[in-house]
Amino acid sequence: MLAIDATSVTKLYKGSSRPALDNVSLQVESGKVFTLLGRNGAGKTTFVRMCATQLAPTSGTIKVLGYDIIRQPGEIRNLVSVVPQEGRPLRALTPWDHVYNWLQIRGESRQTAREKTESMLRKLELYDARDRPAMNLSGGMKQKVLVAMAMAADAQLLFLDEPTIGLDPVSRRQVWSAINEWKGKGQSVLLTTHYMDEAEMLSDYIVIIDKGKIIAQGTIQELRKVIPHNMRVDISADGTDLESLQPYGSVVDTGTGMLRVFTFESSARELSEFAIKRNLSFNVSPVTLDDVFVYLVGRPIDKGDLAE
Amino acid sequence: MAQLSRYSMVPLRQAFLIAYVTGILWLRRNPVSLIFTAISPFSLLFVLIVISNGQYIDFAVAGSLVMALVGYGLALGQDISFYKTEYKIQDIFVASPVSPLTYMMGLALSELLFGLPALVVLASFVVVLGAGIAGIPLLIATILLIWGSMSAMGFFLSSHMLHMRNATQVISFVNVILAVLPPVFYAVERVPDVLKPLVYALPTTHASLMLQNLMGEPTPAEWSLGFGFAVQVAYLIGFVALAKTKALWREN
Ligand SMILES: Nc1ncnc2c1ncn2[C@@H]1O[C@H](COP(=O)(O)OP(=O)(O)O)[C@@H](O)[C@H]1O
Ligand SMILES: [Mg+2]
Repeated sequence: MLAIDATSVTKLYKGSSRPALDNVSLQVESGKVFTLLGRNGAGKTTFVRMCATQLAPTSGTIKVLGYDIIRQPGEIRNLVSVVPQEGRPLRALTPWDHVYNWLQIRGESRQTAREKTESMLRKLELYDARDRPAMNLSGGMKQKVLVAMAMAADAQLLFLDEPTIGLDPVSRRQVWSAINEWKGKGQSVLLTTHYMDEAEMLSDYIVIIDKGKIIAQGTIQELRKVIPHNMRVDISADGTDLESLQPYGSVVDTGTGMLRVFTFESSARELSEFAIKRNLSFNVSPVTLDDVFVYLVGRPIDKGDLAE
Repeated sequence: MAQLSRYSMVPLRQAFLIAYVTGILWLRRNPVSLIFTAISPFSLLFVLIVISNGQYIDFAVAGSLVMALVGYGLALGQDISFYKTEYKIQDIFVASPVSPLTYMMGLALSELLFGLPALVVLASFVVVLGAGIAGIPLLIATILLIWGSMSAMGFFLSSHMLHMRNATQVISFVNVILAVLPPVFYAVERVPDVLKPLVYALPTTHASLMLQNLMGEPTPAEWSLGFGFAVQVAYLIGFVALAKTKALWREN
């Protein structure tokens, strides 16, 4: 069964002239981590909120776990769980309060709620802070409280809208490993992110959206093939120029003192020799998702991303 | 049968848990906040009793009780819009098995909890000032009716308070319409005849009349307890229906 089946979905917010989502159709298989990747304002949250029955579409249909979001929201609401974008735990309540009571509200017995709360808090390394009011937790810990609430609920489909925004690297990895473990149990995840590494790390399938439209979709391997070349070589622009590199592949000026050549292994080797002979600094790496994104959307996902 | 009772109990358990989390747990960590909510309904009561030399105590008590309940309903609306915009809590609840009415009930119960000290004191005044022990059931029914309808109204209004900027204006406006202008703190006789249909259309007029009646104040000939009940029940049903269908749960 499909976790999500969206057909010609359009969302035009009241008072807005340009649709936030424009005739989007997409299918999400169950048991996978499915990622919406796009810049700020691309329409990711809009799509997630419609699937999670929090927002009505202007037109089109969406089925979630086989149920229609407009006619059968009750069925869907029993089976899903969300981490909303920019959510916050209640200031005076502790991580334990949040997860334990939320599980009971969702219908778990006290005993089960207690067990699940403990294991989830341990998994996300919140256990030692379980009795600390949220207002005394770091931003990363706060965000993890929301992730813990959503994940502990054992839903069929989990919506994670930019779940690691503002997290420190260690917390991000904890959330990532919790997501991977969750996936292992056969449940589905709809993730949105504007972090490339996160998308690469977690996704079984990626949909790139921009300005409310789907630009490309596929597995990471499939998306990499969008660029005809498979290697990229960055060479110091100081001592060579675009024209002399053109024979090796397609060249872009990154604007950071480096020229980037998209090319193949054999030419990458020649380019390296070229650079060594002229004593220029250079750097060879496989084509990444970042490159694909720039190639497709025409600009980096975050300003300055090319300059890393 | 077991299924049936399970299904009917679930929303109640959910509502109590929501009230426990947002009310009791919160209070346990911020006990001081109770003092403020407990004291505020007594300010007008104090002023009215002092300036009337105690003559006006029945109206002051009835009015303060009704106004406090209106306040809890409006505070609920404010809480709901705050939870929605600041914490995104409502997004979490919408995408869960909790129904909007259960959510409202839970938060309304927690509001009631904050108001409990003041309500108990004011209700005791009503008992002592004439209602007696026998009047307690009617007193509680009146309190619950007006609390229920004001909470539903608060929930309905919350979707119109989303832009926090004008929330306080909406609240003070509704407060004036429901608790200040109509005969909540004063006798209906003072209202000019032409305006009487208007004030009898408001649930707070009847709530106050019921309390005045309980304390032995004379009530107008055209009014009866049954009338008062009927109007309040109608408002309760009306506001709950409005909250259920028109309050923002799924956004458009
Ligand atoms: N409630 C709203 N009213 C009007 N416009 C909105 C609303 N929410 C989002 N938008 C607009 O819709 C577009 C998509 O937003 P969003 O779905 O939040 O994107 P993303 O999550 O990818 O950053 C943006 O242009 C945004 O400004
Ligand atoms: Mg977003």
